[in-house]
Amino acid sequence: MDDSPALRISGLTRSFGGLPALAGVDLELRRGEVVGLLGPNGSGKTTLINVISGVYRPTAGRVEVMGHDATGSAPEGLVRLGLNRTFQTPRPFRTLTLRENVSVALRHGRNPGQSEDEILQLCGLGGKGNLLAESLNSSEQKRLDLARALATGPDVLLVDELAAGMRHDELDGAAELLRGLAAAGRALLVVEHLMGFVRQVTHRVVVLNAGAAIFAGSLEEASQDPRVVEVFLGA
Amino acid sequence: MLWLFALIAGILFGLYYALAALGLNLIFGVMRMVNLAHGDVIMLGGFAAVLLFDRLGINPLITVLLVIPPSLLVGFVAYYLLGTRVQRSRDPEMMSLVMFFGVSQVVEALAVIGFGNNEASITSAVFGSKPFSIAGQGVPGAWLVSAGVGLAALILLFVYLYHTGLGRATRAIMSNADEARAVGVNPDRISAITFGIGVGLAAIAGIFSLFMIGGTTPSEGVGLTVTAFAVIVIGGLGSPMGTFLGGIVFGLALMFTQTYAPVWSGFAPFAILLVIMLVRPTGLMGRSVRSV
Repeated sequence: MDDSPALRISGLTRSFGGLPALAGVDLELRRGEVVGLLGPNGSGKTTLINVISGVYRPTAGRVEVMGHDATGSAPEGLVRLGLNRTFQTPRPFRTLTLRENVSVALRHGRNPGQSEDEILQLCGLGGKGNLLAESLNSSEQKRLDLARALATGPDVLLVDELAAGMRHDELDGAAELLRGLAAAGRALLVVEHLMGFVRQVTHRVVVLNAGAAIFAGSLEEASQDPRVVEVFLGA
Repeated sequence: MLWLFALIAGILFGLYYALAALGLNLIFGVMRMVNLAHGDVIMLGGFAAVLLFDRLGINPLITVLLVIPPSLLVGFVAYYLLGTRVQRSRDPEMMSLVMFFGVSQVVEALAVIGFGNNEASITSAVFGSKPFSIAGQGVPGAWLVSAGVGLAALILLFVYLYHTGLGRATRAIMSNADEARAVGVNPDRISAITFGIGVGLAAIAGIFSLFMIGGTTPSEGVGLTVTAFAVIVIGGLGSPMGTFLGGIVFGLALMFTQTYAPVWSGFAPFAILLVIMLVRPTGLMGRSVRSV
């Protein structure tokens, strides 16, 4: 495993109307590593993903992708640097087929050396390439969202609640897929509420509360950390 | 057999109106901008054809090929000069109305200075003086050529949108511009190309407005924009293929009323527009243009 961080964020801060949604978050992610991003609703997980992925500009702080300063870069610029993400609520190109959805990403991203059908197959959508994206159910739309992100050839992938809404029998396959992506050298930051899934997929976790990182370490350590227990259980 | 003539003429004029509206709808579909100067570009296309025919004897069909490169260039530059400002405003649709209304007035004023206020035209005999027979009905050659170019433009646009990488990226932006950026698409580059194509289609439509509408004057841009806007609202805002249907409906409504009740011919197409807005506000093939 390469020791230099694929993603490094330092002092990342984002305020909305003077209210801090992120308050100086530091985080490093290495190639081949899957880090879980945990926290109660409203703790800033999706805001952090949105700031890293260029949806929001940070109020302060720095984002580095593969050693390049990517602070405040637009999403299309981040794709070129090797970072992409999936969305909690996927928004596929509804009037395009699945194959066309992936094709657009293949053409405009960094070619990962795979075909549209190979990527769809990898994400459990094999044989559905000619369907319109609007015909998919929510779980399939999440898979398509992942397929589209992978088609841009990212070194760093931010995964926002992929497992939410998936059937029980789909979770093992999704976990295996994410582990496989990390084993192939990608760095993954995974936001997830399903602890069983987090345990299956992640190497370590970072816990956010009120926009600040309050814990970094293994999931087992997190479950015994009084700050984390208090945040989740209000104890 | 008046009805048969009205039907044939309606379809031919419908294909022309689809051509006249195609660029306006393409630009709206990708950029959510209402180009109120669209009709003025059509008008300029007409003047370009007249100038090239009068001065150099160039056939209007050759002019179709000649106007494409400068139109693409003008559209490309206009997008970066004006369109990007519109796109970055808080309300691009309203901003585009104001911005391109201004452009329309400027173009019209410049056209008056450059070409004068007289009507310019080319004899329709340039496409043959004898009418062609379709299902026993005599149809001017100029109508057939205009409709044929309209149909060819529709087919080429379909091939571009559905069978090329740039076209797929264009449709991706039409579907969701933010998501398109998230997979690496540069929306400004695609929008500039699209604006160029839209201007090119308008300029080509202008060449044939000389034969379908009859001559051109600097002040006709506003009326052409209104007609094109009616066609795309009938067919569906943001739906290039809906433009085909909108054009046909508009052409048939116009020709049937001109045949059976000419006094109402200026009323019927727009009455249909109002009915469609009440019954199906998204147009015949359109989708909601604002996501909730």
